[in-house]
Amino acid sequence: MTDTANLEALRSEVRSFLEAEKPTDWRDASRTQEDFVQTQRDWFARLVQAGYAIPHWPKEFPGGGRSLAEQKVIYEELAKADCPRLLLSFVSTYHAFATLHECASEAQKAQYMPRILEGETWCQGFSEPGAGSDLAALKCKAVREVRDGQEVYVVNGQKIWSTMAQFADMCLLLVRTSSEGVKQAGITYLLMDMKTPGVSVSPIHQIQGDEEFAEIFLDNVVIPVEQRVGEEGKGWAVAQATLASERGLTLMELSYRMRGALSRVASLIREHGREQDRGVLRDFGALVNEVDAVCAIADQFLDNRIKGLERIGDASIVKNSYSRALRAYSKLGVRLGGIDEQYVKPITFGDLNTGNWMADFMNSYAWSIAGGSEEVQRNIIAERMLEMPREPKNWVL
Amino acid sequence: MIELNELTDAAQKAFPADKLSPARDASWELTAEMGWMMVRLPEDDGGLGLDREASTAIHFEMGRVLSCAPLIPAQLGLQAVIASQTLAERADWLERLSAGEYAPLHMLPANVDVAADGTVSGTVGGVLEGDMAVAVVAKLPTGYALIPTDAEGVELIERPVWDPSRRLFDLVLTGYAPDPALMLSDAEGAAALHDILGPEAHLALAADCLGGATAALALTVEYLGMRKQFDRPLAMFQALKHRVADMKIRITTAEALLWSRARDPQAARLQIAGLKALATDVYQFVTEEMIQLHGGIGLTEEHQCHLFMKRAMLNLQLCGSLDWLNERVGAEALAALS
Ligand SMILES: Cc1cc2nc3c(=O)[nH]c(=O)nc-3n(C[C@H](O)[C@H](O)[C@H](O)COP(=O)(O)OP(=O)(O)OC[C@H]3O[C@@H](n4cnc5c(N)ncnc54)[C@H](O)[C@@H]3O)c2cc1C
Repeated sequence: MTDTANLEALRSEVRSFLEAEKPTDWRDASRTQEDFVQTQRDWFARLVQAGYAIPHWPKEFPGGGRSLAEQKVIYEELAKADCPRLLLSFVSTYHAFATLHECASEAQKAQYMPRILEGETWCQGFSEPGAGSDLAALKCKAVREVRDGQEVYVVNGQKIWSTMAQFADMCLLLVRTSSEGVKQAGITYLLMDMKTPGVSVSPIHQIQGDEEFAEIFLDNVVIPVEQRVGEEGKGWAVAQATLASERGLTLMELSYRMRGALSRVASLIREHGREQDRGVLRDFGALVNEVDAVCAIADQFLDNRIKGLERIGDASIVKNSYSRALRAYSKLGVRLGGIDEQYVKPITFGDLNTGNWMADFMNSYAWSIAGGSEEVQRNIIAERMLEMPREPKNWVL
Repeated sequence: MIELNELTDAAQKAFPADKLSPARDASWELTAEMGWMMVRLPEDDGGLGLDREASTAIHFEMGRVLSCAPLIPAQLGLQAVIASQTLAERADWLERLSAGEYAPLHMLPANVDVAADGTVSGTVGGVLEGDMAVAVVAKLPTGYALIPTDAEGVELIERPVWDPSRRLFDLVLTGYAPDPALMLSDAEGAAALHDILGPEAHLALAADCLGGATAALALTVEYLGMRKQFDRPLAMFQALKHRVADMKIRITTAEALLWSRARDPQAARLQIAGLKALATDVYQFVTEEMIQLHGGIGLTEEHQCHLFMKRAMLNLQLCGSLDWLNERVGAEALAALS
């Protein structure tokens, strides 16, 4: 069979699976955080069983060993079928996986990878109150000691904005083991069990009523040295593997979902009797064009990646285009909804295009801030893609 | 695709980026020599029979150099003849047009009346480089017609536009009696022909816009890197970098849509209309930024900034304005999503 025929065969296979199995009531079933988490766990388990949860993993794992082109097909179909996005398991199947797969010891891989498929979830403990965009400025301190004859790190500090940390079993943790030299040099990468004594988690209340992320407080947390990934002081390089793990599939999936969710704007226009309002039609038309363009750039990014043609900055362009369109999308909804949208309505956890327009609008900031803010992406595009000179670094107060 | 790269390379060689708006007549001759009028002509009619992607690549390159040669209206005129079921001497016309005789499609609305005796009076707008035309492809109430520019009752009147890379003419008809042998369609067939020509026009204009925007961005980045103020290149200021990054983001995203539409033979008419709307909007945005980021020099005639801005502003109006197109796209999407 040709590549195209293979891909089309996979597409119809995924499609028929989704037709039979996709949860249709998941939005209603995700009105509380607990229900949302349960929905997520169930759907992840179902996808693991069907072989569609981890297409990017190596082929030793059931459902793994798919090419990027095949992964794209699976994600396209998941988006078109409007099933729940895998949010709870996102860090475990992408970030934790990539870190383990690329940088961890064989023992660590054997210990943790199968458990991810059984539903163990991970969070990412990178950001700190004093280290956001400037991640390398992190201060969470780890001191090496011998306790009960075992070599350990004793960790003290605070992490913040850690997505789903309140439900996580494990954490990808960046700590500082040295303050000497450049700030990147003293960083070490640890795998932390969230049940270790001294770890406490408190969810952060977001402006739209969600609690997607949490603070993690570390008070004399003892982590065995065997839990380290890579060498001491070489954690920055490992962190790059974590951050590069996701490879554009998510943005393609989200763009397709936003295109599907244009029907929500259409319903809103009708509900408010604005079908003949030419200004509204114009704004809706402009949004449709913008969303189409975002889908096209997300597609192009992945196609280039499949062909090995990705360049520095390409991912930044896709991300900013998506976050800009998502803002425009939700803002048009808030505007068309009028005063209705100012009355509090129940939110749906774990979805960006829910039709609760104020909530969606507020949630859209997740994409212009998380994972490298819009401004940081612009720096990358200007300095690394367009080769404009960098700013002088030696800033003295 | 090899073919596409070859076309692009050849275009860039023939029309180097450092020479903006090369002289019209010489450019037109070169275009004909390069065989670009053969690109979309079907093989059965003696052409190369290439697809939309190929012509899009050429229009992109011509947009990049702000070409004065009227390739877009020429291609559209040719396509009207190709698609015509009624033109008497179709083969003859195809031969003449693909060899470089110029019969453009008009790119602004026609406002004409048909008298009881069948003669036509009124104005057909947006005939680009009308002085070069042997005939104009015009949408009359009775159908699409080839109107020879030297026929009785036909006059071309130039209406100077701000964009120096184009000359626009009104085709003024005064009791003109259409030649039945030169009709390209009847009134009914006009809608079908319009549906063929509309997307072609929108795709070509979108390519022109994004080629131009790409060049405008490159010149802006170059200028900011070279111009020093406050003892450093302006390009070092983050306030300016971020504006340039936004230009890059918007161009690249619109260009992704351009190629995806150009490659999709199934793309709907309004999907391509939406692309044209988006591309003109991006071009306008980019050229506005270009002028501002050049400072005073951007306001001078010697500098190139205004050439891009004026072309962008004219493109916004050709073959449907931004507001009009967005409204149509919105109405259609609303209907489709019910
Ligand atoms: C929804 C969400 C989920 C997240 N999940 C996680 C997670 O799971 N794990 C984790 O570790 N972190 C997570 N984060 C944290 C995220 O990585 C940081 O919020 C992000 O890196 C920005 O850091 P900050 O919030 O401290 O903002 P700051 O860095 O303080 O930025 C404030 C403002 O200054 C701008 N700015 C900063 N530096 C520059 C610069 N050099 N040039 C121009 N402008 C600049 C920013 O763009 C922003 O507008 C999450 C964040 C969000 C919103």
